[in-house]
Amino acid sequence: MLSITDLTVSYGPVEALNGVTISVPRGEVTAVIGANGAGKSTLMRTLAGLVTPAAGQATLDGEIITRKRPEDIVRMGVALVPEGRSTIPELTVEENLRLGGLWRQKSDRRTTQAEVFDLFPVLAERQRMRADTLSGGERQQLAIGRALMSNPKCLLLDEPSLGLAPLIVTQILHLVRRLADETRIAVLLVEQNAVTALRMADTGVVLNLGRIVQTGPAPAIASDEKLRHAYLGY
Amino acid sequence: MTSFIDYLIGGVSNGAVIALMAIALVLIWRATRVVNFAQVGQAMFTTFVALTVQTLTGSWALALVVAMVAGAILGVIVQFLVLRPMRRADTSGAIIATFGVLIALQAAVGMIWGGDAQAYPQPFDNAGVVAFGRIWPISVYDFVVIGVTILLVIALSLLFTRTSIGLAMRASAFNPEVARLSGVRVSRVLTFGWALAGVVGAVAGVLVAPSSTVSPTTFDILLVFAFTAAVIGGLDSLVGAVALGVFAGLVISLVSGLSNSGNAPVVALVLLALSLITKPDGVFGHHKARAV
Repeated sequence: MLSITDLTVSYGPVEALNGVTISVPRGEVTAVIGANGAGKSTLMRTLAGLVTPAAGQATLDGEIITRKRPEDIVRMGVALVPEGRSTIPELTVEENLRLGGLWRQKSDRRTTQAEVFDLFPVLAERQRMRADTLSGGERQQLAIGRALMSNPKCLLLDEPSLGLAPLIVTQILHLVRRLADETRIAVLLVEQNAVTALRMADTGVVLNLGRIVQTGPAPAIASDEKLRHAYLGY
Repeated sequence: MTSFIDYLIGGVSNGAVIALMAIALVLIWRATRVVNFAQVGQAMFTTFVALTVQTLTGSWALALVVAMVAGAILGVIVQFLVLRPMRRADTSGAIIATFGVLIALQAAVGMIWGGDAQAYPQPFDNAGVVAFGRIWPISVYDFVVIGVTILLVIALSLLFTRTSIGLAMRASAFNPEVARLSGVRVSRVLTFGWALAGVVGAVAGVLVAPSSTVSPTTFDILLVFAFTAAVIGGLDSLVGAVALGVFAGLVISLVSGLSNSGNAPVVALVLLALSLITKPDGVFGHHKARAV
């Protein structure tokens, strides 16, 4: 379980996150939703170690992950799929995947790669092709696959729907749901696309200007009209 | 016609050395966006180390190996002392710093081994090979130079395509953030890259030394040619560095043979300027892929 407690991040005088507290249990999907500039990406980048928080902490199964280096955090079991299909276009599909678990034993890596290919059969078909020949949806699958190659306990997904066709978004989010159900990974998802995200999440968290305004079961958040009008803009 | 072909043949081994030095420049550029002008200074330093070993033991091969080890160590020292502290500065600052390292290394060599040009012993037969009833403008030693270069290029390409550290190096060069998020210790990978470039540069220095002399500034001209080859090759591309390095060797040999050797650097710089005007990404550059 990923526990975020009182996390505060400032960029100079600007507070990007202010006392954010979220629990992400294993096997569940927690969706953080909010408008542009709400602090969603900052939250993800802080958890992955790319940004150092001013106060507060995050733990994975009791172990502190904040203020550690990104390469150590991923080894502890927290993997981030950053915004914008974070594959390396010059590398092949297989190399992108191998990169995700480069530090692991070869045999463990093989096992995980087979699991990733089960989950994303298209990646197995395109193994030897360069990542820049893939479609947007395929590249997002590759980005998630790369993160899974570290065998994470917690998966952080930053705007996986960005720039993808609605049908592809639904497919990807279904796969994320399956992943949480089948592998008991804790999934923290940030999305601007609130409707789709809340439809498949267990818990919804509404973030506005760096503060949490509401946490609750996803269906309850989705049906709260006032919340929708005030913060989600629909 | 015969002399034209002779000049081309005579240029291959010089081209091989330029290719190696260009590879060393490309290795650092790809990983850090810094052109390491100190590379020839490092190579010159390690060549003097090799000269000392060769004088003491008489073994060319041992001298080469010691120079390679020294090249790796010196590469790591330069990275730790100069480039790491400048990580947060912009890359133009770091590039100027490499010039400073070059000057410091030249001064250090002058203090340790003296400023005069010294002869590097010829390890193999340097006379033109006789075959098919004529003397060819290529010696046994030239074949050794070409052979060592080919072996090193093959070893490097295997390292990059077949090993974990090679994949980590490519990933760190293309996208350091994604590499870190994948668990790659990028700063260690960078240090390894500096060591590797140091080894390649050291080999280039030892290979070229018997054909010229060694002094604190002998290799400066090698920098001009290697830099030209690396830039025209696209700076990002190892294939480009090898191809343009060999090409530069041929051009230099032709220009030197048909006019005089003083014109070669001028021709190199004219080619560099033309290439930057007409094809700024280089012949083998792949910036297009980055834009996707």
